[in-house]
Amino acid sequence: MSGAPAVRVSIESSCERQVQEVSLDGLETYAPPLSMSQNLAKLAQRIDFGQSSDEDEDGPERDSREQWSKPEAEEDEGMVKFQPSLWPWDSVRNNLRSSLTEMCVLHDVLSVLKDKKYMTLDPVSQDPSVGKTPQVFQLLSKKKSLATAAQLLLRGAEKLTKSVVENQEQRRQRDFNSELLRLRSQWKLRKVGDKILGDLSYRSAGSMFPHHGTFEVIKNTDLDLDKKIPDDYCPLNVQIPSELEGSAYIKVSIQKQSPDIGDLGTVNLFRRQAKAKPGSQMWHLKLEAAQNVLLCKEIFAQLSREAVQIKSQIPHIVVKNQIISQPFPGLQLSISLCHSTGEKKNQRASPDKSKPDDHLYVLEHNLHQLIREFHKQTLSSVVMPHPASAPFSHKRLRMAGPMAYDKAEISSLQQSEGLLEKIIKQAKHIFLRSRTARTIDSLASRIEDPQIQAHWSNINDVYESSVKVLITSQGYEQICKSIQLQLNIGVEQIRVVHRDGRVITLSHQEQELQDFLLSQMSQHQVHAVQQLAKVMGWHVLSFSNHVGLGPIESIGNASAITVASPNGEYAISVRNGPESGCKVLVQFPRSQAKELPKSDVVQDGKWTHLRGPYKEVHWGRMEGRNFVYKMELLMAALTPCP
Amino acid sequence: MGVTCVCQVPVSEGKSVQQTVDILHKKLEQLGAVKQGNFWVDCETYHATGNATGQPSKLLYVMHNSETPLSCMALFEGGPGLSADANFDVLMVKLKSHFQNAKGHKVESRGVRYRYCDFLVKIGTVAMSSSARGISVEVEYCACVIPGDCWNLMKEFMQSFLGSNTPELPTVFTSKAEGLSVPVDCMDTMSQYLELFGRVRKQQVLPGSGVR
Repeated sequence: MSGAPAVRVSIESSCERQVQEVSLDGLETYAPPLSMSQNLAKLAQRIDFGQSSDEDEDGPERDSREQWSKPEAEEDEGMVKFQPSLWPWDSVRNNLRSSLTEMCVLHDVLSVLKDKKYMTLDPVSQDPSVGKTPQVFQLLSKKKSLATAAQLLLRGAEKLTKSVVENQEQRRQRDFNSELLRLRSQWKLRKVGDKILGDLSYRSAGSMFPHHGTFEVIKNTDLDLDKKIPDDYCPLNVQIPSELEGSAYIKVSIQKQSPDIGDLGTVNLFRRQAKAKPGSQMWHLKLEAAQNVLLCKEIFAQLSREAVQIKSQIPHIVVKNQIISQPFPGLQLSISLCHSTGEKKNQRASPDKSKPDDHLYVLEHNLHQLIREFHKQTLSSVVMPHPASAPFSHKRLRMAGPMAYDKAEISSLQQSEGLLEKIIKQAKHIFLRSRTARTIDSLASRIEDPQIQAHWSNINDVYESSVKVLITSQGYEQICKSIQLQLNIGVEQIRVVHRDGRVITLSHQEQELQDFLLSQMSQHQVHAVQQLAKVMGWHVLSFSNHVGLGPIESIGNASAITVASPNGEYAISVRNGPESGCKVLVQFPRSQAKELPKSDVVQDGKWTHLRGPYKEVHWGRMEGRNFVYKMELLMAALTPCP
Repeated sequence: MGVTCVCQVPVSEGKSVQQTVDILHKKLEQLGAVKQGNFWVDCETYHATGNATGQPSKLLYVMHNSETPLSCMALFEGGPGLSADANFDVLMVKLKSHFQNAKGHKVESRGVRYRYCDFLVKIGTVAMSSSARGISVEVEYCACVIPGDCWNLMKEFMQSFLGSNTPELPTVFTSKAEGLSVPVDCMDTMSQYLELFGRVRKQQVLPGSGVR
């Protein structure tokens, strides 16, 4: 330390007060000085408690320190050893000295390392005998340290696996309460005493069915903890009323009237399996099935009540689980409630097996829709809320008394039709429509010459459908399109609107429609000749849709037409009837006739150019694939080339 | 609801009530009217009690009409009237202390209802305690609600089967302040019936009418 040029150490007392702010004109604002306690706290924070107190301090200093610390005991909890300020810079000097020492040492080491003039660095030779530890000991120590590390890791891993297993367990075991929450989000539950009851009826949706529809939620405790938990385990189970168990559906079918009424009321075969949606719980399936059974029972109860109460011309028969009514003579509509509890497989034999697709699904769906509409009506704002004295009906009806409505007004407000009537009307319409389609199709396949085309309308009503029927000849569609019929199929009648404006009402009889179409087809042929004559340049001499001559047709009337060639030499007469077929006669000029009756009156030669006798054409032997084609050929043959 | 005219047809000489009614039926059927069920109109009398002075208590008449099956009409003679729900009868039972039912005074008219295009003709036998007292004929023209517009037509129609018994324009229409161009009300019909029943009540019992 001596000999080196003296290092001037300038000591400046640190700023007692900190500069808080320097204003723009250079004026410094100092932070206010700390109070005694604040100062003490600040110093206390700077003391490093990890370091041991100064070793080379003498005893008296320590004593004086202790003396000093005693009066300080009130300010300070006796945790801090406060150095007595005999000389305020003592610690500073000591620190500086020690740092200087360190710096010199460092400088020496670095110079030794760098210059290598007087001293060099030499590695410390390892004395194998001195520093050698026995291998066994090394092994043991390594083993021990590894074991400690391994134990730590294992402990951590154990914790992790335990938490993963717990999660899995939780997911599968699913708490009863969380399952109950899921159940409550979809079904109505209430707590009665210590039981949890639920409501699966449609009463809150407006139904008036007197069934209570309550189910009970019970805890599933038959879990065997030793065995593996099954996949579909559910801690919750529902108990539904025994009469709603199993599944049900309403079967609506139309059959030919069975001659014997002996086997009415048999339980129909249950054939549908409920499709289990993936992810849905067993209780959900059970409850949904029970609700469906309840709805089917309600529908059937309503239908049977109406069947008994409503007077109709042909009374409806209600037998056990079937309602049978007659929409049309010879036809039978049966609505039956098929309820199977799923356990028993009895009563497999059923007469319905022969017609598997007898069931009209559309009507079953419509029944469900109608009953739901009926529910909605009881809840609509038109009915609810209602005063206590008024009956459950349309709100305008409550004014019927005071406003003295007469019967016409009352009936216009009231629901005139019940469920059964509606469904019977729908069934009638469906049947009529299918029969009409069958008639048209059978005619189309049977008769080739005028072709019959049916264009069914896409948009239908439950009570009305329409079809456009066109009768055309193949190859001459543009020319012969005068027969176009629009059929409006209603509930009991078919209304036909002809292109020429006639409106004809046909009954539900199949034969009427068939006869009508046949007569239209025969008329079409004659109309076709008329149109063809226009095209070919022939003149129409006479045309009649309903001729009064010739044999009487049993279906419709025969039509006839006479056309003359452009030069007037030939004439063709056609008579076409639905039954009698077509008859074509050609009139030749007198000059071509073989046997001319000799007459005294007509002697001039010019009269031989007039048309004379008729000759029938063997129509069956004519060439041509249809009537109009043959006619065209005939006309062409009779028109000589110029 | 159309313009109605209620009149009383006197019993023909030498014939009973039933026979006169049958004659009228036949005339209507010859005209081409179609029978459309039955009708009834009845009237009950209530005395207002609790009258301190010796004045005759006002009579309240409660009437029902099968044409308005859900209503009940209550009126004072020549005075105001109201039409209410069928629960009014129950209300009258509750008001027993204020209105007492005069049970013997119940009058009703029952009979057949005919329909002839827009006309509804109801021929009824007026009976009081099951003894026939007279015949009531109600003609309703459903197509019009203003009496002034259709009275002539109705009169002509009534002449065709009632002959000389055709009534004049009912006083309910003429006594209205606004005249004949005011739409009719169900109360007009009931007032006419009330007048008729009152007349029948005052009449003496017909000889030989008996229990029908």
